[in-house]
Amino acid sequence: MPKIILENVTKKFDKFIAVDNLSMVIDDRDFVILLGPSGCGKTTTLRMIAGLETPTEGRITIGDQVVFDSEKGINVSPGKRDIGFLFQNYALWPHMTVYQNIAFGLENLKWKKDQIRERVNEMLALLKIEQFEKRYPSELSGGQQQRVAIARTLAPSPKVLFMDEPLSNLDAKLRLEMRTELKRLHANTDSTFVYVTHDQLEAMTLATKVCLLDTGVLQQYDPPLVVYNKPNNLFVADFVGNPTMNFIKGKAEIKGNTAKINMLGATFTFSADGDIAPVLPAADENADNSGGADVVVGIRPEFIRVEQGKLTGKVYTTLPSGMETTVKLELGDEIITSVVFGSVDYPVNSDVSFEIVGNGIVLFDAASRSKIAMGSLTIE
Amino acid sequence: MTNNKKFDTRLLGHRLRSYFSKPANIITIVFLVILALTVILPLCTLLLGSFQLNTIQEATSAGGKKGDFTLRHWARLLTSTEYDYAINSLWLPLGKSILMALLACFIAVVLGGVVAWFITRADIPGKKFISAVFVFPYIMPSWSIAIFWENFFKNTEMTAGPRNAGLLQMLTGICVPQSWIYGLVPCAICLGLHYAPFAYILIGGILRNMDANLEEAATVLGASRFKILCRVTLPIVAPALISTILLVFSSSISSYTVPFFLNKDGRFIALSVHLKNLFGDGRTQGQGYVMAILLMAISIGILTLNNWFTGKRKSFTTVTGKSGQVSLVKFGKWRIPIAILLLIIVGFIAIVPLFTFAMESVLRTNADGTRTFTMDYWFSKEVPTGSTKSDTLGILVSGTMWKALGRSLGLSVLVALIAGTSGLLIGYAVARKRGSRIATFVSDVAFLPYLIPAMSFGAVYLSLSFTEGFTWLRGSFILLILVGGVKFIPFASRTGSSAMLQLSGEIEEAAIMLNVPWWKRMARVLFPIQKASFISGYLLPFISCMRELSLFVLLTVSHETLLTTLLGEYSRTGLTESANAINLLIIIVVLVIQFAVNKLTGASIDKGVGG
Repeated sequence: MPKIILENVTKKFDKFIAVDNLSMVIDDRDFVILLGPSGCGKTTTLRMIAGLETPTEGRITIGDQVVFDSEKGINVSPGKRDIGFLFQNYALWPHMTVYQNIAFGLENLKWKKDQIRERVNEMLALLKIEQFEKRYPSELSGGQQQRVAIARTLAPSPKVLFMDEPLSNLDAKLRLEMRTELKRLHANTDSTFVYVTHDQLEAMTLATKVCLLDTGVLQQYDPPLVVYNKPNNLFVADFVGNPTMNFIKGKAEIKGNTAKINMLGATFTFSADGDIAPVLPAADENADNSGGADVVVGIRPEFIRVEQGKLTGKVYTTLPSGMETTVKLELGDEIITSVVFGSVDYPVNSDVSFEIVGNGIVLFDAASRSKIAMGSLTIE
Repeated sequence: MTNNKKFDTRLLGHRLRSYFSKPANIITIVFLVILALTVILPLCTLLLGSFQLNTIQEATSAGGKKGDFTLRHWARLLTSTEYDYAINSLWLPLGKSILMALLACFIAVVLGGVVAWFITRADIPGKKFISAVFVFPYIMPSWSIAIFWENFFKNTEMTAGPRNAGLLQMLTGICVPQSWIYGLVPCAICLGLHYAPFAYILIGGILRNMDANLEEAATVLGASRFKILCRVTLPIVAPALISTILLVFSSSISSYTVPFFLNKDGRFIALSVHLKNLFGDGRTQGQGYVMAILLMAISIGILTLNNWFTGKRKSFTTVTGKSGQVSLVKFGKWRIPIAILLLIIVGFIAIVPLFTFAMESVLRTNADGTRTFTMDYWFSKEVPTGSTKSDTLGILVSGTMWKALGRSLGLSVLVALIAGTSGLLIGYAVARKRGSRIATFVSDVAFLPYLIPAMSFGAVYLSLSFTEGFTWLRGSFILLILVGGVKFIPFASRTGSSAMLQLSGEIEEAAIMLNVPWWKRMARVLFPIQKASFISGYLLPFISCMRELSLFVLLTVSHETLLTTLLGEYSRTGLTESANAINLLIIIVVLVIQFAVNKLTGASIDKGVGG
């Protein structure tokens, strides 16, 4: 069934490279989320797969059909790619009623009138918008418009569904609701979903696989929990997770799969799960290489446990949100973020002890910004 | 009781003081008074003029005395069967004028719309150039195209007009029939070509601002290009299309200059030409007022229809998404031929005219019909024979011409200052008092001069200058400034309002918090932010005024007053070569100024046209 293959796809706008040599495979029935900051090329990628944008180079295959090939000059029009596209602003036609909007795609497929009627009714029921059938888009609320747009996209039963930040125009509560419904929809429709967002929480909760892009370059393409737990590089580690990962600069002396790391005014032993990848020499030749290589230690806030351990920090601020509390501690130049379950409150500037636990600590090369090992830290 | 009353007056005083503490309120009230005096009062005098004996001749023939109430004018013009008077002077010209206007509309909308679609939606090369040059005909005086038409198609077979070989005959030897040069159809074509850029600017603006996702959504659902155009694009631009059609219609039907120039065989007399004739004759001045009211009623009727049409439709406010990423229609191997075709069309209506003006001004027609090159029409100090209309033959050495140019420039600058500033202030008041009834009323009245055909508007002020107490205005330069300033306020007020509405109130409020006085807020905060738009609000009245003839033709005592009236006179008396030279001069002056302003400030004509 439809498997989407991108091979060396590049898109240039004049001299600006929006997408740089992207290759990826989207499996059938995947829910792939293209994630990244604004301007990273995620929407462009989506539009290229859909055929709304023409790649400068590369090859795109949907199912067994090559829909674009720059060398062979193949470029199948979007209407013939058997896809659906949900726009950020819904793009409902203002001069057509809800019914006409949904029926339009079916008319193009030359369906019979009663068949169209039946399918539209089915769609209206699926999205619970039967009562709005005769209304115009301007007479609907944002959430209702969203549902109509989904119904219009789903009506011709496309094999692949593309969504470009479909929830970003909704209010926070509605967004949560629609998130649940989209995931249900994916389970119910047997289609492949490709979804663009800059909201990492949306990506974490919805995707079967997350594709992280930065300035047009693929950073990581893995299931969300792999992206979260084993980020390829500092960019991915920083972009995914809220509150963000702690990045602590240190000096490391690497021996086999252990390393002695000097940071936070203490010495730690890092025991890696496997081999530690070699560290690039620092770009700056005059850099101080004494005491080992420059590394960045990435620690998720949940691996900082407060009120125990040998380290002590000064409370910078406490942010309780009910179910959990974010505690920020100051130690030397660093601010350490910790997440504590439940509500706690510390007076500002009071001393609180903490320790680093767990085996999900990530070691990055400061120069190349890549992950060089995963493991656990023990203080000496 | 007395106590209560005292309290009330004090309260009223407080209310007034607080009302007038806001600049927007002061502006609203001031413009309410000004517009009542400059728009509503003259309209009343026009109405009055149609119901009274205006001149001694009218009084004599009616057997009454000047100023008496009468229904004669209405009765004669609308119903008189004497020599089929009503049919010949009103109903027939009216019918023909409507036909001409419809045809002009059709040409303008089709040509402007097609070009707009190609410029915004197709992947053809040379778009910037085509777009820049395509607006030329709208910048030129409206009758330039008419003069060009004559220059291009005139031939030695004609029975009227200059009867020498035009460009087409010179190049190909083809002689087109006279009905292709003078009459209803050529008038409609010339008007259509003149208003095509106007349609282009309006429709192009909508296409550019239209959310491209709306079309893409249809593409993804497998609709063909043609189906998308018919089912999605056209319905969405329909309100703009209808409003363009109606505006072009109302402008065409009241156009005076084109039918005037293309009537050398005297077979097609448009309603506006009749209007001028009626005013020119002391016996029929009252009927002139009646006809002006009728022309105005047509325009107002049409624009009411327009508002009804656009108001009735669902307001198409779409959240603009990623519309910047318009995917252009790919024409493949057709893109070059299409671009060349567009270039030819644009070249024919925008560049060839300039070329013919230049050429006609340097070619003398000899007695035997041959033509020789000469620079006399530019530089000769010889006094032209058979015409008393000019001091010298060469326009660049003519004192009359230079004085007229000076007056035209001066008038246009003053008019632009008055109209532009008024428009800006009205825009401010409308934006600050959004939704208030009085501000809406002021903005509506400020738009009224747009609805009144230029000729009728001239007539309105003419009638005012014949009214007791205002006679000092008659033939004065102040009258021209006044009439120009008021007539071109609509452009400026539309531009001003839309620019002001785009600025959020918070921008000004931030300055109020810092206790910045009002004038400083305007000059230092609001104006700089929307500089380009506001300056367009000055540029547009300037250009319109420079090329305007219909508005001033009734009001100038001498043909030497303005460049355009001089041009009209040269053309009327057969000094075609000099007329062409003056026409070229006007276009160059306007183009140079528009270009300079555009380069200096970023303001441009297409930013201003929006109503």
